[in-house]
Amino acid sequence: MNLASPFSITLWVITILALLGLPIGHAMIAGSILYLLMAGLDMATAAEQLLNGLYTSYVLLAVPLFLFAAELMNIGTMSDRLLRFCNALVGRFRGGLGHVNIVQSVIFAGISGSAIADVAGTGRVIIDMMTRNGKYTPSYAAAITAASAVIGPIIPPSIPMVLYALVSDASIGYRFLGGIIPGLLMGLAQMVINAIMARRRGFPVEEPIPAREWPGITVQALPALMMPVILLGGIRVGITTPTEAAAIAAAYAYVISLVLYRSITLRQTYDAVLASARSTASIGLLIAGALAFNYVVTVENIPQTVRGILSGYALSPTVFLIAVNVVLLVLGCLLEGSTILLVIVPIFVPTAQALGIDLVHFGVVVVFNIMIGLVTPPYGLLLFIVAKMSKAPLGAIIRDTFPFVVAMIVALALITFIPELVLWLPRVSGYKG
Amino acid sequence: MAFALVRAGIWLRGRAENVAAALLATMFIAFIIQIVFRYVLNWPLGWTHEVCILAWLWGVLWGAAFIVTEADEIRFDVIYGAVSENTRRVFSLITGAALVGIYGISLPAVTDYVRFMRVERSAYLKIPFDWLFSIYVVFAVATLIRYLWLMGRAVRGEAPAALDHARIRDL
Repeated sequence: MNLASPFSITLWVITILALLGLPIGHAMIAGSILYLLMAGLDMATAAEQLLNGLYTSYVLLAVPLFLFAAELMNIGTMSDRLLRFCNALVGRFRGGLGHVNIVQSVIFAGISGSAIADVAGTGRVIIDMMTRNGKYTPSYAAAITAASAVIGPIIPPSIPMVLYALVSDASIGYRFLGGIIPGLLMGLAQMVINAIMARRRGFPVEEPIPAREWPGITVQALPALMMPVILLGGIRVGITTPTEAAAIAAAYAYVISLVLYRSITLRQTYDAVLASARSTASIGLLIAGALAFNYVVTVENIPQTVRGILSGYALSPTVFLIAVNVVLLVLGCLLEGSTILLVIVPIFVPTAQALGIDLVHFGVVVVFNIMIGLVTPPYGLLLFIVAKMSKAPLGAIIRDTFPFVVAMIVALALITFIPELVLWLPRVSGYKG
Repeated sequence: MAFALVRAGIWLRGRAENVAAALLATMFIAFIIQIVFRYVLNWPLGWTHEVCILAWLWGVLWGAAFIVTEADEIRFDVIYGAVSENTRRVFSLITGAALVGIYGISLPAVTDYVRFMRVERSAYLKIPFDWLFSIYVVFAVATLIRYLWLMGRAVRGEAPAALDHARIRDL
């Protein structure tokens, strides 16, 4: 590649501005405008692409709606009831609260589409429960909370899957379904690790909940437990689109909190709306930047060029998938997830397609991978959040997260090389891939 | 004087937040109306779709312009978060100057494009596209002012705060 070409200068400028701390969305918009200027094109094209892209990407509306649903869940007492239910379910095994943490994350994953929302919602409560009376070390409580939150966006609904659908241009319903088994697999892998750790480090069991309290606890949690059923049921039988499902989820969470649990005030409603608006805008800016930059990438024929270069190496799909996994795991340590999805992944998609890799399978592998990046240092967003919540030193948390990361990478290898784990459920639901 | 300015700033910020919240609430309500009409009453509507999209477009750009704080921004901060305050000031000056320069140069072309779009109207509500897209001009101008202000602060010696990760929300 010519190092002085407008495109390479643009790449340098975006990289340098981003490294110096400019918000990535702004860096990409500015870089795209600079490209247009250097290439002698109309500088308004960046704005045009970004505006039209936002205006026509209806599927993206799921992002604010899923964020809103999660905010509502967290304000109401739905999360607490869910936690009590999980405690009744798995609390009495060795390392009980660790299992509770994981099972709770799996169920919450079926409600919320965001790992950050999962941690923000129940993270503090469960970390407090685990560290009370010195049962678990704060760093282990923090580590397992961060690791299990990663399951959130793998099991649908999922904001990263929505972003992937945007860059790979295909139905997101099947993508959602494809994430279910891998998400459960990840939960299972983590429970195995927790069981091993519990034995080795002598973690306690919880007081078993008497059987006569079970029905009450289940009834209390039922409205929350119904939410994944409604969401997935609707998408699975094709009644609702994922975007509509997101709106229904938010409405459902609100009505339940308001009417059934009476646990949400007007002020809290406003705060939830505002918090979702704020998160929407910060992801939205990144999406806007990606839309503008996407135009540059298209003009330069980058995906075709990359495909050309790669086809020179006669890659097999397996080698390609391994390479993508390695690249994404490394990038996941350095970059934030939605940036990888919106900027890096589009470069791989055409090659995956050309190699005959199913795009639903590819999407789940990619999202799984990027989610692991949320708990790998130095840039693991979830690690920072749980460190703040638990007040445990980051180094100790990273050490305690390590076995979980290893287990997740094993799970990643499984879903990479056994595509049926991803594709079985979409196929029985009518996916022709 | 300075105190009054700060108070005015806080007041304006509150109103900007009201607008952003109203946009998201509008999107949500329009969505619910759409679903009820389509699935319950079997009477598909078109305008709700357009209201949703409009609220999304405006919500993103309005929010990015006025309510996203420095701590909320999605950025690469492995380096930015690790350097000294003085270095961060220099970073802030470099990135600010680049952004102000590029957004500034392109502003006339962008304004022309938005004005030109008045020839088209949206499908259902017949809103002229120059109105719909004018939010980009608002966004660009607000961003210019914001970064000039950030540069001013850096020159005066106030370093941008290191990030509070726990406040960043994304995936």
